[in-house]
Amino acid sequence: MANYYDIDSILVEEEFVPVVFQKAINGVKIDESTEKGYVEQGSKTQLPFWLAHELHMRQAVSIGVPACFNQKTRLEIQADAACVDLRSRCPYFYEFGCKLAPLCDKSIGLLLAYAFRIRYKEVLHKAHTTAFAAASRFLMLLTKEETYMYEAAQSSMAAFKKWRMGGPRLQRASILGRKRKPAE
Amino acid sequence: MYARKGYELIKDLANGEKGQLQPFNEDLFNQVVDQCSQHYLELQALIRKMQEESVDVRETRNAEHYGALIHHLSLIRNKRCLMAYVHNRAEIIQSFAWKVGLELLELPEEVQEKLSLSEKNYFGKHSAALQTYMAEVGIDLNVDMVPPKDPYIKVRVLDDMGEGILLSDKTANLARHSMHFLKRTDAEQYIARGLMEELTG
Amino acid sequence: MAGQSDSTMSLFSSEEIEFMAEDEMVEIVPNLRMDSLNFICGDYGPFYPQLAAQVPIWLALALKKRGKCTIRLPQWMSIENLTQVLEAERDSHAFQPLPFHYVEISRLLFDLAREDIPDMYMVRSLIEDIRDVRFHKVETNLEKFTASTVTWKNMSAMEVNVIRAFAGRALQAFYKHDNEQQTPDTDRTLDKQPQIPTDRPKRNLKPR
Repeated sequence: MANYYDIDSILVEEEFVPVVFQKAINGVKIDESTEKGYVEQGSKTQLPFWLAHELHMRQAVSIGVPACFNQKTRLEIQADAACVDLRSRCPYFYEFGCKLAPLCDKSIGLLLAYAFRIRYKEVLHKAHTTAFAAASRFLMLLTKEETYMYEAAQSSMAAFKKWRMGGPRLQRASILGRKRKPAE
Repeated sequence: MYARKGYELIKDLANGEKGQLQPFNEDLFNQVVDQCSQHYLELQALIRKMQEESVDVRETRNAEHYGALIHHLSLIRNKRCLMAYVHNRAEIIQSFAWKVGLELLELPEEVQEKLSLSEKNYFGKHSAALQTYMAEVGIDLNVDMVPPKDPYIKVRVLDDMGEGILLSDKTANLARHSMHFLKRTDAEQYIARGLMEELTG
Repeated sequence: MAGQSDSTMSLFSSEEIEFMAEDEMVEIVPNLRMDSLNFICGDYGPFYPQLAAQVPIWLALALKKRGKCTIRLPQWMSIENLTQVLEAERDSHAFQPLPFHYVEISRLLFDLAREDIPDMYMVRSLIEDIRDVRFHKVETNLEKFTASTVTWKNMSAMEVNVIRAFAGRALQAFYKHDNEQQTPDTDRTLDKQPQIPTDRPKRNLKPR
């Protein structure tokens, strides 16, 4: 189980999955629009993963494959994994996929490994060679984890270069955020 | 959708710049708490209904059971979001004590404004515990976070800090733009707060 | 108080690595007489004018700053040796053996003991070249990363540190995805029920 307090672990589980209810459920309004107050067996909807998963464990729903792992995305990844805009499809593409694979489609695991292997090289390459301005368009395509990797590479390199240049060792605490203008 | 408020709260936290504090979102925080109570009431109502129909609450897996389950799950999901919100902020607040200063009033005003009342309390108690501990072991643990080189450094004052400021080995008039040669350990806290900058070369 | 190293991103800041490098020994030639110094880390001296002595770099630099000694250039920093290393570095895929802290030590000496380094300009540019070649190698190696074990001999402290955060994350991801393929269902011991079949046809992607 991922860290209980971890923001990213929480957000991954907010991704929606299509479900089909296997049981009738009373006293809930799953879609805010329905005024019925109950769910019929066999009805379909989208639920956030944390809820869908718990219900799935109790055989109350069956889980389908979400749009970000559909055939179209798979074909695009096969064609040119590095250029696929995964962020807009799902910012937690890998983490979500890992959680989802055992529940609905095991082949997602292979897709993730394949996509990561190719995109990893791209991240590595861009992180060390491209100027930030030129990389910003590329960054728009990255998932959260890929962005973290990119930032890790960039910031370690920047810290090294700064050390090599020398200069002040003590600085304003970064935790205070950007510097505001000193009061005139 | 259920536990949506908790998600909004976490989103609010995640949207802030990494490692930096946003103002405490009291309004949204309370909405999540309210939603928790709401889930609890509905959960109770469903259990009551099951009891009225005298079905075995533990064993039965009827429509009411699943309804109660969903409310239960939503409640603990919201709870997780609340806990994560408070916990992650508390970690940043702790690091203020380590990286900026041990007194609340030493923190920049715009930072103080972002803390809730209980967070200010927490900061104060954390700092006090830290101070007691440091006094006992006899070491200032929150200085020299960057490996030190020289005992004295050259600094420039960035903000008017006033006259007759008491330093460990002298009193100084720290007017804006003035330059000084200070003990590193004295200057460190002012640099961390952005009131001075270190000069090199 | 002004701790700037971001503990979540990398374990050490460059300044901290440099601090560790300062424990390496160098040879100095003092120009004063001084009794031996007894520190927690060891005893150094006594010191006599013109008699070479071994001291840690931090001590050497402290004496140097006060004009009390000259520092002898370590043997590996000689132009012949560096030229050889650079050639070997260019000819081979492997990393050549150099002191673990060669980046930090050379920088400290360039900064604070420049008049003790004959042909300082040449030495500096050789070391820069070596570092560039080696860093290029690091990147090439990173490209070949997979979850299988990674062994690179003779990498230096700073070289490791520059890629630590990135490589750590990447290895974790590779490890996760490789395991995912072999044993899915890793952290779900609860989930013992049969899979509810989906109506989607399964289609495996062939890894290239």
